[in-house]
Amino acid sequence: MPVEGATLRVVDSGEPVDRPEFEHLRGVAAPSSPHRVRIVDATLDCLAAHGLAKTTVDDIARQAGLSRATVYRVFSGGKDEILGAVVDTELARLFSALGARMGAADDLADVLAIGICEAVTRIERHPALRYLVAHEPATVLGHLAFDDSNRLLATATRFLSPFLVRWMDPDEAGRVAEWATRIVLSYTISPSSDMDLTDLHRSRHLVETFVLPGIRALREPDRSMPVDIGPFVEERRAADPAPGGTALRFLAPTNPTNPTNQHEGEMA
Amino acid sequence: MDTRQRIIEATYACVARSGLAKTTVEDAAREAHLSRATVYRYFPGGRDELIHDVVTWELMRFFGRLYQAVQGAESLEAVMERGIRFAHRSIRQHAVLQRVMQNEPELLLPTLTLESNRVRQGIADFLLPYLHQHGMADGVDPVGAADFLARMVLSYMSAPGRWDLDDPDEVRELVRSELLAGVVVGPEPRAGDTASRP
Repeated sequence: MPVEGATLRVVDSGEPVDRPEFEHLRGVAAPSSPHRVRIVDATLDCLAAHGLAKTTVDDIARQAGLSRATVYRVFSGGKDEILGAVVDTELARLFSALGARMGAADDLADVLAIGICEAVTRIERHPALRYLVAHEPATVLGHLAFDDSNRLLATATRFLSPFLVRWMDPDEAGRVAEWATRIVLSYTISPSSDMDLTDLHRSRHLVETFVLPGIRALREPDRSMPVDIGPFVEERRAADPAPGGTALRFLAPTNPTNPTNQHEGEMA
Repeated sequence: MDTRQRIIEATYACVARSGLAKTTVEDAAREAHLSRATVYRYFPGGRDELIHDVVTWELMRFFGRLYQAVQGAESLEAVMERGIRFAHRSIRQHAVLQRVMQNEPELLLPTLTLESNRVRQGIADFLLPYLHQHGMADGVDPVGAADFLARMVLSYMSAPGRWDLDDPDEVRELVRSELLAGVVVGPEPRAGDTASRP
């Protein structure tokens, strides 16, 4: 499921795309054929009902009320190409909906809280995504770490930072947009029972507690100690001053690792 | 080394050589110089159980090394900076992980994601005493803050995004701003100092 570099072809979610905030979406949202949207929406229905493995091009055609030949005329690449279009479309719809809400915010705390709350809510309630996470988790989770996750962060940052430039310079906006995306991803992949971000008050509290001070810190001169550049393991002090932080020990192997291996993440 | 451990390490050697999908119970048995039946006695779930356990084992080894790496750092900032830099470097240099992520991420990531809840709890529990030692910002709940920090640390470890985590200055900037600014009092806490928190 390609994310970065994929053109976001379809924006037909009925959002007000003529507003200035949507300038950056318009360039990539080329006019799309009605068949294309119909096929994408039919695929979403199939995914929400039966998942990815069981959905065939025939199912999609039937659900869309189109012939198989028509589906292949629009998507000559078959199921893979359709799925790529589904991902692009759903991302474009998500960003477009986020933009509509964030564009109406009054202050920085608002725009971040609304964006985080809206994103978490839409992701958690997305019928196809819910089915896939419950029944075929690899199809979704396989794209949420390492390289794919970096691409997703970059895409989200590109679309969301324009909504922050009212309150900060573009570089800072990019940082903050990426940070907010990390928060959304973390709380949607592993929901927290005492931090329900679909509740706007909770989102706002999180933004005020953790995010705004971080933004202020970026603008302040660094008052902290010189950077810790000591070697990782050799520097262990004679008297260990760690304040009892031993909880990670349960994660350590039962038979200690060969000390010569400690530096590298690689044994083979 | 007990037999179970021997099987796990043999399986890891097979995965390092041929990847997750191609590693079978037979391969693991051959590598460990044991019979198939013995492997099944220790891993009745067969291949799936073996693969799951070997992924978990290597994950725990990784965090064991991370734990070693942050020992001796005397401040919360130093623990986080060292931990992030070590984790980033280890992940990048982990040839087996990199190859699996390149070729068969769908076989690895579901396990990693499930285990990440336990890992997150471990990181949060580890950070909590450092937070208490450092001093919390007004009105911030230490347990909630530790969970937030653990989430963010895992996020940067798995995807650095726009941060260059090989650059100590950038890591310090990251820790100072996106990680600690809202959580703790200023970097050099003084009695009655509230100026660092507008």
